[in-house]
Amino acid sequence: MSGTLRAQLCFLLLSVTALRGHARFLDIQENDISPEGLLSLLSSELKRELPEEFVYRRALRCLDMVAVEGQFTFTAERPQLNCAVFFIGEPSDIISIEYDSVNIDCRGGDFVKVFDGWVMKGEKFPSSQDHPLPLYERYSDYCETGVTRPIVRSSQNVAMLFFRLHQSGSSFTVTFRKLINPFPCNVVSQTPEGSFTMIIPQQHRNCSFSIIYPVEIQIGELSLGQHNDLKRSILGCAGSGDFVELLGGNGMDTSKMFPMADLCYSFNGPAQMKVGCDNTVVRMVSSGKFVNRVSFQYRLLGHQELQQMKGNSVEDVCLRA
Amino acid sequence: MRSAVVTHLAVFLRKRSAVSSMKPVPLVLLITSVLLTTHVPLSTCRPRDVSLMNNQLDDVLLNRAGDDAVSYLVGEKLLQYLQRNLGAQKASGVLHLPHFPTAQLRSPHEDNSLEELTEFSKRNDDPPISIDLTFHLLRNMIEMARIENQREQAELNRKYLDEVGK
Repeated sequence: MSGTLRAQLCFLLLSVTALRGHARFLDIQENDISPEGLLSLLSSELKRELPEEFVYRRALRCLDMVAVEGQFTFTAERPQLNCAVFFIGEPSDIISIEYDSVNIDCRGGDFVKVFDGWVMKGEKFPSSQDHPLPLYERYSDYCETGVTRPIVRSSQNVAMLFFRLHQSGSSFTVTFRKLINPFPCNVVSQTPEGSFTMIIPQQHRNCSFSIIYPVEIQIGELSLGQHNDLKRSILGCAGSGDFVELLGGNGMDTSKMFPMADLCYSFNGPAQMKVGCDNTVVRMVSSGKFVNRVSFQYRLLGHQELQQMKGNSVEDVCLRA
Repeated sequence: MRSAVVTHLAVFLRKRSAVSSMKPVPLVLLITSVLLTTHVPLSTCRPRDVSLMNNQLDDVLLNRAGDDAVSYLVGEKLLQYLQRNLGAQKASGVLHLPHFPTAQLRSPHEDNSLEELTEFSKRNDDPPISIDLTFHLLRNMIEMARIENQREQAELNRKYLDEVGK
């Protein structure tokens, strides 16, 4: 045989043996779980599907607050032009809103919008500095994307629904669910008393815990980064990328609130502070280099304590109407 | 503008292919003409001139005049904006009419909020939506919602226990 022919034959033999392989397949019987079924079990929403008789249902009002999972329907008996429904969950939940059936006249000016956060008097929570999305992306309009994307998820434990219905008889139904969030960032507390541990695991983000009451905060443990840099503490928190600040104010927007205290080094052992404002916020700024953690408790300030604070302080940082 | 540059280039290349030796002067002329014609025209820049900003504001105000929430929001922003600018003018000692010089510095925060407002109004047809609510009312609503949640959770637990007991 000539050299080239031998080489070609060897090559052919080699390729034939290399392409031979072993195949494995799952032997699934007909009445067993299908692969689609297996995959759907992994989706957290289906896991939480309740049987029909266990789903909570009620009608929505034009101004409403919902904290319970279930199916909610709004029916317009007369034209309703400015309506808002607030949704709130536990600190470690995120909100999922699904449009079940929407019967509105989009072209006639009706709308149903979900906002990722809360908006009050033009101030939004979380603020633009603390939320990953720009403002226009936080509004999700049913008339634009509702049919293709019927499920909207929030990034924190609060969300809102704005709607306007011109004709009587228009209605819509939404299903509200709460999903678990392993690292909650940006929380509105449902109660004036409680405790929370905020962890930011090596992410470059800012997180706020908002308590819409005047409270006394007791910080039990603060762990910022790995190094205790004494130089940093002398200069204050201005230069450091990881710190915790206590804010107080009378609005929802944390970027417009007054700083009450700055903490930029780790410590153990309680540190207390009374904040006599309508909204008290514990905010953590994280550079992303370290795992930062803060644990705190809070309790409502009584009327007498507030009066005492008013008497003691020279200037009233939180002005009250 | 671009088509002019392209035709210019085409003519030049044809000339170049016809002539074997090249002089650097036409090349330099070509490069400078390309650089000058590709200069970004001013109209596509974000307007720093306040008169343009006022036009945008008027547009927003007129189109949204009927809406309660947005007229509150826009009115508030306008008031803040005017207060800041008038304040700056008074501090300098001279009170100018609304047409401000382009070199005037504005704080980035209010710039952003005003631009955010007009930008958002343009992006969605609807204005940025908000609701006027006091904290007192909000707290009461949260309290009622929590009670409803606890009651429903208790109901659900009772139903589950009944199921288990069967």
